[in-house]
Amino acid sequence: MKWLINIWKTLNKPAKYLTLGSISLTAFVMGILFWGGFNTALEATNTEEFCISCHSMESKPYQELQQTVHWSNHAGVRATCPDCHVPHDWSRKIARKMEASSDVWGWIFNTVNTSEKFEDKRLEMASREWARFDRDDSLACKNCHEYDSMKWDEMSTLAQKQMKRAAEKDQSCVDCHKGIAHKLPDMGDARAPQLIAEVGSGESQFSNDEYYFSALTKPLFFSPTGDVEAGTLNVATKVKVLETNGNRVKVTIAGWRKKIGASRVIYFDFGINMLTAQLSIEAAKTEGVITPFEEKEDELTGLKWQRVETTLWTEKEYLLTEQQPLWDYARTTFRKSCSVCHTQPDEAHFDANTWPGMFQGMIAFVNMDDDTQALVQKYLQTHSSTFVKKEH
Amino acid sequence: MTTKQIEESDSKKGKHEELKALGFIIVFLFPILSIFAIGGYGLIIWLIQIFGGVVPH
Repeated sequence: MKWLINIWKTLNKPAKYLTLGSISLTAFVMGILFWGGFNTALEATNTEEFCISCHSMESKPYQELQQTVHWSNHAGVRATCPDCHVPHDWSRKIARKMEASSDVWGWIFNTVNTSEKFEDKRLEMASREWARFDRDDSLACKNCHEYDSMKWDEMSTLAQKQMKRAAEKDQSCVDCHKGIAHKLPDMGDARAPQLIAEVGSGESQFSNDEYYFSALTKPLFFSPTGDVEAGTLNVATKVKVLETNGNRVKVTIAGWRKKIGASRVIYFDFGINMLTAQLSIEAAKTEGVITPFEEKEDELTGLKWQRVETTLWTEKEYLLTEQQPLWDYARTTFRKSCSVCHTQPDEAHFDANTWPGMFQGMIAFVNMDDDTQALVQKYLQTHSSTFVKKEH
Repeated sequence: MTTKQIEESDSKKGKHEELKALGFIIVFLFPILSIFAIGGYGLIIWLIQIFGGVVPH
C-alpha cells in the first residue's frame, strides 16, 4: 500500500530527474510493443490451430468440415474456422472474442467433450450460430461470396430466380444455406425444435394458482392419468395451474366462446377470433369442464358470446413462466420468413380478426411447422391494432 | 556528510523513484487498463447486439 502511495506521489509531480525525451520515447516504444503484442495474441486465437486445440472442436466440427466444399474445392480456397465464426471487422471481432468467454466455460466444464453430449447440444449450438449469421446478414459468407460477382448465366433457372431475389435484398445467406459446413442438427420429428431451443422446454415444478404459458400446442385430458383427449390447448396461451399430479397438471383456461353449435372453441376475448383452446364435443358436453359466466352480443355479427372457464389436465412439459420469449421468437420468425418475398406489414397494420385470413393466405409460401405457424399467428393477433394503438 | 553528498544521494533516490513509477505504469498499469478498456468495448457491442441493435461497422 505504502509502495503504491509512493508511486502515486511521484506520478503526481512533474519529473525532476527523467527527461521529457526519455519518458516520451519509452511511452512511444511501449505503445508500439503493446499494440503489436496485443494484436499478435488476438490473431493467435484466430487460427484454425487454436480452435482445434480443444478436443471438442477437433473431433466433431473440424472433421465434418473436411467433408465439405469449404475444405477443398477446385478453386483451392479453404475456409478456416475463424473465417466464418469470427467477424473480420475489428469492433465486432472484439465483441465476438468476449462472447467466446462462454466457450471457455464449456471447455472448463466439459460441456460437449463426448460425441453424445455434442449431439445433444448440437441444435442449441447451431441455432445460436444461425442467429449470429442472421444478425449480421451473413457477413462472414459475404467476405468471400458476393452477389455482385455471381455469374447468373451459369446457374439453373430456379437458382437464378432465387438468387436474384436474394441479391436484391442483400439477403442473409444462411436463410437458405444451412448445414453446409457442418452436419445439420437432427430436427427429427421433434416439434418446433428451434422454438424449443430458444424458449426451453418449461418448468419442472409448479406453484399452484400461478399463471403459466404453453410453449407448444398441447393436448388436454379429462384426468391426470387417462388417455382420452379432451381437446387441445393453443400455443402461447395463459393458463392457471391448480394442482400437479404425476406427469400432468390441472389447469384453468379462461376465455370466451360463441354460442353456436357445441360451442367448443374457446377464444381469447369477447369478439376476438384468437384461439385459446379447442375442446372435443364430448368435453364440451361433460359436466364440470366448462364453467359459464355472463353473455354478451356482438353487434357486428349478431352472435352471442359467453365468458367461460375451462378446467382440464395437460402434460407438465412445455409450460413457461413467461410469455415474452415466445413473442420474441415469433417476431424474429415473422420478420425473417415474410421478408423473403416482400416487405412485411407492421404487426399493428391489421386487427386481430383480419390477421388469421391474411396469414393463412401466405403460409403456403414459407416453410413453417404447425406449432410455429400457430405461434406466429397468435403473435400477430396479440400485437395487432386491436391491442396495440399505433398511429399510421 | 557534506551538503553536496546529501543532494547527490537525494537525486539518486528521486531518480530511482521516478524510474520505478514509470516502469510500473508503462509495463503493468496501462497495458492492463487497455485490455480492460478493449474488453469492455467488446462487451458493450455484444450487449447491444443481444438487445437487438445493429452495430454500425
